Amino acid sequence: MKITKEIIERIEGEATLELEWENEQVSFAKIKFFNYRGIEEILKKRPLLDALALTPRVCGICSHSHAIASVLAIEACYKNAGEALTISQKAKDIREIALNAEKIHNHIKWYFFTILPELKRISDTSYKGNAFKDKQWFEAQQAVIQTLKMGSHFTGQWPHGSFVMAGGVTCDPLKSDIISALGCLDAVIAFCEEHFYGMHLEEFLSFDSALQVMSASSALSYGIDEMIKYGFDRLGRSFDRFLALGESYRYEGSLKAAKTTVLGADLKYVHESTEHTFFEDKHKGYTYSKSAMYRRNYCEVGPLARMMVSKDALMRDFHRRFKDAALTRVVARAVECAHLLLRTKTLLEQLNLKEPSLILPKRDIYSLSGEGIGVIEAPRGSLIHYVVAQQGVIESYDIITPTVWNLGNGDKENPSTAQKAIIGLNSFTKADFILKSFDVCSVCTTQ
Amino acid sequence: MSHKSSIIWLQGLTCNGNSHSFLNYTHMPSFAASFDMLYHPLWCSNEEFLSLLNSEKTFDFLILEGALSHDERLLQRFNLPFFEILDNLSARAKHIICAGSCASFGGIFRLRDPQKITGALFSGKEKGGYWLEKNNVINITGCPVHPRWLVETLMTLHNGEHVSLDEYLRPKEVFSYLVHHGCLRNEYFEWKVDSKQLGEREGCLFYEHGCLGPMSHANCNKILWNDISSKTRAGSPCLGCTEFDFPRRALYETQKNMSLPQTPFGISKRAYYTLAGVAKSFKIDRLEKKLIDEDN
Repeated sequence: MKITKEIIERIEGEATLELEWENEQVSFAKIKFFNYRGIEEILKKRPLLDALALTPRVCGICSHSHAIASVLAIEACYKNAGEALTISQKAKDIREIALNAEKIHNHIKWYFFTILPELKRISDTSYKGNAFKDKQWFEAQQAVIQTLKMGSHFTGQWPHGSFVMAGGVTCDPLKSDIISALGCLDAVIAFCEEHFYGMHLEEFLSFDSALQVMSASSALSYGIDEMIKYGFDRLGRSFDRFLALGESYRYEGSLKAAKTTVLGADLKYVHESTEHTFFEDKHKGYTYSKSAMYRRNYCEVGPLARMMVSKDALMRDFHRRFKDAALTRVVARAVECAHLLLRTKTLLEQLNLKEPSLILPKRDIYSLSGEGIGVIEAPRGSLIHYVVAQQGVIESYDIITPTVWNLGNGDKENPSTAQKAIIGLNSFTKADFILKSFDVCSVCTTQ
Repeated sequence: MSHKSSIIWLQGLTCNGNSHSFLNYTHMPSFAASFDMLYHPLWCSNEEFLSLLNSEKTFDFLILEGALSHDERLLQRFNLPFFEILDNLSARAKHIICAGSCASFGGIFRLRDPQKITGALFSGKEKGGYWLEKNNVINITGCPVHPRWLVETLMTLHNGEHVSLDEYLRPKEVFSYLVHHGCLRNEYFEWKVDSKQLGEREGCLFYEHGCLGPMSHANCNKILWNDISSKTRAGSPCLGCTEFDFPRRALYETQKNMSLPQTPFGISKRAYYTLAGVAKSFKIDRLEKKLIDEDN
């Protein structure tokens, strides 16, 4: 049996993909993440609120997601200790605006800085990428800047802004801040309409057929054509099993889907495994990434999962044609970005500034003992923070990131979502692209 | 065409926050006109990394992001021990730029194992990090680094000009300022009016909420973040992320001694407490009220 080991570059962090080959086909894949940083250990014995400042440092591209997950975990501690906090609608909306900014910018960055150049690289191995060179790259970078500037009106800065606090948010914006933020958002919408979708957002979001998207002239339809050319409309399929544990305005509660059947999900079935990791066995382990499962099953999380559980008509049509192939996964991010742009505009327009930003808890935080769980839908999928506190001090902190769901390591009998998507391929180049179709974040994984 | 300076960007133990912050640089076409990014782990490999490594050519800037370690069990890249890569590249780089507090002091990730995880020339406050000495290192601290701090330092060096540095090897143009400078809550600080609670525009965050603005070196409130705001403008305390002791414990609480807060940087206790006592003895009505009275 042949074994190859290749570094996966140009992702968030670095991964090694070890492939086992039989008859020119991948028979098994090991996804290895190194460079563990130990934030969960660093948090131990610190005051609870320090988690708000430290957990964003898990990840430079989803720092606000971690900040929000950690404040939800702390607020759950209050609730479990008998004080259910009131969070104003204004504070909830500001948290969602911040989270949306992070998702929108992530999806633009990922499509224009990763997917498009990676597709070019497949046909032209000497291709050097578009970064710091192409006009469209600079325009996409400006759209990223405007997206984050929009959010920073409320969060102070991105990355690593501090803006959440148990009981709400710390900022208290003015009407003029909203107008300025809307101006930034309009610039992002203009970019996406011109380049990403090739049409107005409303028109794009009214579609229910893949053919409507593919017939437009846009960066998205170009990418779809290229993916079909290389077979990614069939390749990269996995279990067709999805999970979205965090809330969204597009569906109620935590949900799971098997193909197109959507059912309720419950956090109590989440299970974290350290199999194959250095934590379990220093010698036999081969990665620092834990694996997360739902009822002992690997499930896909992220934009495609969110689209599937919300029964999005357009994505259902892509799914009907291509199942959970790499193409469907890529398109789901673009479609989610369009939804989020309009949703964020509505949130900004309707933000009720008269409400309080923060309603202080009555209890002294140093009297809190117990546990709390915070769950949100981060750019790459469900993110869980689980904290145990003793007299307001952190006893233990456990983080399950989206990449741990998608890119865990199972075995041949029970492979993870990404492993299943890679097994059976006939080239490393394809495996590399399919791995990237999950929007890999190795820094989150080795928190 | 004028000469372009070459950059290789190398990551240690990091969250990628400095890379993403750099990508917020507003005038990227100007940057690209003066610099060649030979390698950046996230976005470009104009040259194969291993061929860069096997080359003997010199280059202009090695940008380090993330905490560093000689221990290959803690840090490796490209299936190689990190020290092999760093020792090779640092010997051929004209300038070494530490982007962010992790590469400069060790930062947050140093806390896991301060003996083995450090910054380039410092381990926290102490001299002696990955290297004991090196004369071509500049620290641009911050968690993350501000894109302008990084690009403007690179630009100055590219133009052949001198960058003057403070005792922690940070560019003085950025780090002679305090975060306090330009803070919108300055008047509340002057009259010692505390913020009653977070989530409001009024009051100073220094007395109860842990703000380190008066003792943290950086021009955050002069040039702002994302061209619009800052931590204190969003109502959150400065966490002191540009300093060697970031992150301190209990970041949302003011550390006090005999119920008195630490004094601002370079101000004697006698001067500060005398003035504070006098200021506090006056009750300024205007500063006790809301900034904008919504009822009128």
